[in-house]
Amino acid sequence: MADMAVQSDVMEAAGPYDRAKALSAFKLGDLTFYWITRISAISVLLILGGIILSLIAGAWPAMKEYGFAFLWTQRWAPSADPPVLGALGPIYGTLITSVIAMMVAIPVGIGIAVFLTELCPQMLRRPIGIAIELLAGIPSIIYGMWGFFVLGPFLANTFQPFMIRLFEGVPVLGAVFAGPPSYLSLFNAALILAIMVLPFITAISVDVFKTVPPVLKEAAYGMGCTTWEVVSNVVIPYTRVGVIGGIMLALGRALGETMAVTFIIGNSFRISSSIFAPGTTISAAIASEFAESDGLHQSGLILLGLLLFVLTFFVLAGARLMLMRLETKAGK
Amino acid sequence: MTELSVSTTVASHVPQVPLPEAPPKVTVRNLNFYYGEHHALKNINLTLGTNRVTAFIGPSGCGKSTLLRIFNRMYDLYPGQRAVGQLMLDQTNILDPKLDLNLLRARVGMVFQKPTPFPMTIYENIAFGIRLYEKISKSEMDDRVEKALRGGALWNEVKDKLNASGLSLSGGQQQRLCIARTVAVRPEVILFDEPCSALDPISTAKVEELIQELSEDYTIAIVTHNMQQAARVSDKTAFMYLGELIEFDDTNKIFTSPSDRRTQDYITGRFG
Repeated sequence: MADMAVQSDVMEAAGPYDRAKALSAFKLGDLTFYWITRISAISVLLILGGIILSLIAGAWPAMKEYGFAFLWTQRWAPSADPPVLGALGPIYGTLITSVIAMMVAIPVGIGIAVFLTELCPQMLRRPIGIAIELLAGIPSIIYGMWGFFVLGPFLANTFQPFMIRLFEGVPVLGAVFAGPPSYLSLFNAALILAIMVLPFITAISVDVFKTVPPVLKEAAYGMGCTTWEVVSNVVIPYTRVGVIGGIMLALGRALGETMAVTFIIGNSFRISSSIFAPGTTISAAIASEFAESDGLHQSGLILLGLLLFVLTFFVLAGARLMLMRLETKAGK
Repeated sequence: MTELSVSTTVASHVPQVPLPEAPPKVTVRNLNFYYGEHHALKNINLTLGTNRVTAFIGPSGCGKSTLLRIFNRMYDLYPGQRAVGQLMLDQTNILDPKLDLNLLRARVGMVFQKPTPFPMTIYENIAFGIRLYEKISKSEMDDRVEKALRGGALWNEVKDKLNASGLSLSGGQQQRLCIARTVAVRPEVILFDEPCSALDPISTAKVEELIQELSEDYTIAIVTHNMQQAARVSDKTAFMYLGELIEFDDTNKIFTSPSDRRTQDYITGRFG
């Protein structure tokens, strides 16, 4: 005890000088760290701002030429003189393919997540989980080729004729599922998109489902709930913010996906009521025409890019709003 | 603390005249339970009397919660856990593999250690359980929700904010909401698994009072680490140790003159 007291005296005597020196080294490190992180964060804003500015600058000639009519003109004739450009076809195609893709991917993706977390025997859990992750790792060009050579022919030969026959003569649906069957169509592109975004929805849903406290699920089971009731009334409401986050990530990817869609959508600027008809999306239009464009045509394509940017922004903002509404409704 | 002082303080809360023997609601015969290879409960024999409160005490890991989780087959959710023996709820064999678990759990409700309000409004927390079993009109539902919340001694505190989230309540209120939710389904037996261990003393007193009131209509089993609580709320007490039922008797007797040495040691705080 006495020894220690003596020792600590000695250390205190040597203390102030050493500590200050050691601390100042830390302070310098802290300051450097602060600036590095700050610059990284600010650079995000700068890059985003730069991209928007250069898009606007590139799109300016087309904006001046066509004005807001660009949004609702369907005709796309870049080789006419002067070129006639309208974005309605690509905007329509982008929205329709994304909506159909989400209609397929959300229930299937969440369903897989529910199966993996609540129902799946332990033995199957890892193989299925790994398969889902691999699905996310496949490059989009491969999805495009597969869609073109395998899925497209299959749909055109079996599924599409079946649907067309089934809904023939039915008022609205008859027009939505109208022929002729085609390898290249909005529907095929949407299906490929659904497969591509599925892993996002599933992976994120699985992660958030795992955060539900077991005792909360036990409480629901303890009231006599079936697995379905537990999932729909407790698990999904408890995790809805995370699940919707996953859906938004998937939607963001579906809206902007280029390569796979360009392969199988048919690149037609005409709007058809049938989802089995070829169409185009904003990103597919840019990808397939940008290389051989110039002047007003190129400016029009850049304007399309700007529109995609704005569209994505509004979709994400809308999702945020919906989330806030949900939360007020739940009384949070 | 001396042995004497504990016994007297505890005894002072106990009704001096024990209630008459009640007809059995739940009968446990030669019950064994296994977590995989681990033999967690050994040859348990006891009965829960109709409309009586039975307390389960014992050191951590003695199997009290395990026993409780057999009464509503909660262990079924987890692979590798199994129960062997006989367990009857009236004439129903609880361990029957073909038994409808949803129906069983409607008859045997459970309140957990931590409050577990569902992620919905206070109203919905109650209505949800009722809707599982009954189709009733909005006005009937309003009545049932009010009745359940009154039953949970919570109505006066929440009647103006039924549409607020169940998660916005305090811990004690959340626990009473969970009790109200359990009562709303009209079970026959209610299991309490350390219902007050996450609550402050005032909330604890409220929940204990509630348990006493509920025992007029329900058969109650309560696991607790708090011996005063067991003495205050229960008619019968079971002392468990290392997976065995050491002693099961009138609460009064357990806390004043236990017949087993280990019970005596535990209630006087010599181990556990």
